[in-house]
Amino acid sequence: MRSLLKPALLFVAVGLAIYAGLYYAAERLMMRTGHANPLFKIATAREGDVDWVILGASHAMTLDFADFNARMERDTGLRILNLAGPGTGPLYNRFVLEHLLGRRRTRNVLYVVDGFAFYSRAWNEERFADAKLLRRTPSEPAIAARLWDYARREGVDPRAVLDYVSGFSKINNRERFKRDVWEGEAQFEREVRRSATALKKRVAYLYPDAASEAALSRYLEELAAIAALARRSGARLVVVKMPVPAQFLGQLPGEAAFDAALSRLLSAQQVCFADFSAALEAPRFYFDTDHLNRTGLTEFVNAGLKPILLSRDCAP
Amino acid sequence: MLFTSLEFFVFLAFALALHAVLPAGKRWAWLLAASYLFYGFLQPSNLLYLGAVTLVVVACARALQRAARAWARRALLAAGLAAVLGSLTAFKFYDFIAGELSLPTLGLKAPAGYSFYAFSAASYLIDAFHRRFPAAHGAGHAALYLAWFPKIFAGPIERATSFLPQVSAGLRADPVRVVLGLQLAGWGLFKKVVIADNLAPIVDRSFAIAAFASPIELLVSVYFFAFQIYCDFSGYADIAIGVSLLFGLQLMENFRRPYLSRSTAEFWGERWHISLGRWFRDYLYIPLGGGRAGPLRQYANLMLVFLVSGLWHAGLGYGVGWTFLVWGALNGAYQWAGLATRSFWRRVGDALPRVRASTALAVLRVLLTFHLIAISWVFFRAQSLGDAWLILKKIGARLAEMPALLAKYPFTPDHYAGLALIALLVAVEIADERRSIFSRLAAAPAALRWAVWYAAIAAMLLLGRWQAREFIYMQF
Repeated sequence: MRSLLKPALLFVAVGLAIYAGLYYAAERLMMRTGHANPLFKIATAREGDVDWVILGASHAMTLDFADFNARMERDTGLRILNLAGPGTGPLYNRFVLEHLLGRRRTRNVLYVVDGFAFYSRAWNEERFADAKLLRRTPSEPAIAARLWDYARREGVDPRAVLDYVSGFSKINNRERFKRDVWEGEAQFEREVRRSATALKKRVAYLYPDAASEAALSRYLEELAAIAALARRSGARLVVVKMPVPAQFLGQLPGEAAFDAALSRLLSAQQVCFADFSAALEAPRFYFDTDHLNRTGLTEFVNAGLKPILLSRDCAP
Repeated sequence: MLFTSLEFFVFLAFALALHAVLPAGKRWAWLLAASYLFYGFLQPSNLLYLGAVTLVVVACARALQRAARAWARRALLAAGLAAVLGSLTAFKFYDFIAGELSLPTLGLKAPAGYSFYAFSAASYLIDAFHRRFPAAHGAGHAALYLAWFPKIFAGPIERATSFLPQVSAGLRADPVRVVLGLQLAGWGLFKKVVIADNLAPIVDRSFAIAAFASPIELLVSVYFFAFQIYCDFSGYADIAIGVSLLFGLQLMENFRRPYLSRSTAEFWGERWHISLGRWFRDYLYIPLGGGRAGPLRQYANLMLVFLVSGLWHAGLGYGVGWTFLVWGALNGAYQWAGLATRSFWRRVGDALPRVRASTALAVLRVLLTFHLIAISWVFFRAQSLGDAWLILKKIGARLAEMPALLAKYPFTPDHYAGLALIALLVAVEIADERRSIFSRLAAAPAALRWAVWYAAIAAMLLLGRWQAREFIYMQF
């Protein structure tokens, strides 16, 4: 068996060199095709402080679809960085905000809340190990160190750290040549044709676990941590609920408990909260079961969000 | 624990390291413990089933050793087989039959791999009955035979007659076996994560919406499925055999380039899932009289073997249903047709010796066999008999127009990638048929050999689907 040792070591050494080459190529390619990943946006955003950072899950992502963020910036004269990610709950949002504040300042943080993100590990701890997010996250020692810290303290799977550090998901990315665009963005101009089956499937997808009080209080603590983080950095936090169809809202398990707990937390923390969830109902405002299309978003921003972005007041 | 998971690679490194430092006589004990760890990793309750089967087998084998009277030995064997195969039958079919008859269901579900180690257990009992292996080995060796981790989920259905002497000899790995094992395991992994799992999404999509899929889509999926199931299952077997070689254990060959078979008899008898084919031959077909009890009995025996094989396959990934019985019957019918026309074709061959020896005829036979098997796979994969029939009807109705439809069909890059991977597989298998690909590699210059390995590893990294898709055959 000893006769195998030397060629085996050489084989492994050459293999590691090839792996390093693949890693480098994958990273370069990712920097060319990256777009929607929040950590990619931080790495590639132009220098300087920002006026607003937007955090949340896919409902908040719509604010950066197509040219929408640029339009909002033009209309308000503010610099807005949208760091929302698909299916990302408050734990992941905190991770992103901590990373951002380690590099630059923001005057305000807009947090778009979704009840589902406060009820499951799938949208929080487990989200860190999602290959779709990891493969679009730039390689940076600071991110690796923070991820390791989250693995030690927050229950994130250590395999996520290994994946990130080794760049495996990035090398193995089957969509390496495609631009990192979330599937919803392609439907942004469409109008939904409502379907009870699609709605049922969507709600089942968003709530993989039963809506439990323990999960809710665990993840509300994360929102409180985000509020504390914003306060420490001198930023104002505003929390909003985006408009969703009444039929969707009515099917969300534990939504009333979420609303009540959220209100309690935000008033205790003296955080601004605006609930727009019942603001827009017609199908022409949505491209799918619960995401605003361009028409809906324009309506929402003009009537509800813009005043918040422009004033220091809480109420729209 | 899946062969494609990070946990498995860590586990394997640890198992090998400890195996290497332990004295030869103690290695089996460590490998038994490692096998239990592997099998119980995701579902610790799996160990209860394996433990129960092991207890039955060891107790029956011990009693068989002691029993002298023929009737007592037969009774012991029957009791052991009834316990092992009866539980397998109950796990597979009770709920299905109860559902069909509107009786209360019990929610019975056996753990992954039960079909395989139940058959290993049955073969152990029958071989113990016939005193085909020395009685001196201990219960621990028998337990290792049943639990051996590389084969537990999907075989090969190894024989104790070959396994136990290797364990008794001390499980020593040598450099040649280690290199061969690594190559074999690597090739198996490639077949699984690069070929099978890249074909799977296309197949899954079409079979899930058979009623709405176009004939061309269904045809492509039928072809792709033939290669998906081959690469998935033979990939598992290659990894199992390769990993076993790293520990100094030689398992039996389970696949021998099956799609190069020139008849369905050759396909099932010599090339596809060889360990199961031999199990049925030795423990069912021959005891029933095989081909020695007259032509009628031979036809009946053949059909029975394929029907039982169909029942055994029920539940392997695609649920339990009548489709598996039809799949078995169809393959039995192929054997009947082959048997009935055998002497006719022999006479034709004798009259036309140059045609018989021609490459064109060989290719034609390979293609015909492949298509017959591919048709039978439709019943294996479809959700129901109705779906299977619909798929074949839709393809059959538009068969004449296929060339024109093919030209117009909007194939995606995934289709082209699937096609390229199948072409690569077929090329490798054709080369392997003439001379083993591994001995070709061994004879090649080191730079070329290493380049091939690195290319395969790079392909697995770049193209492999590693997101824990189970092997088809380990789902029961």
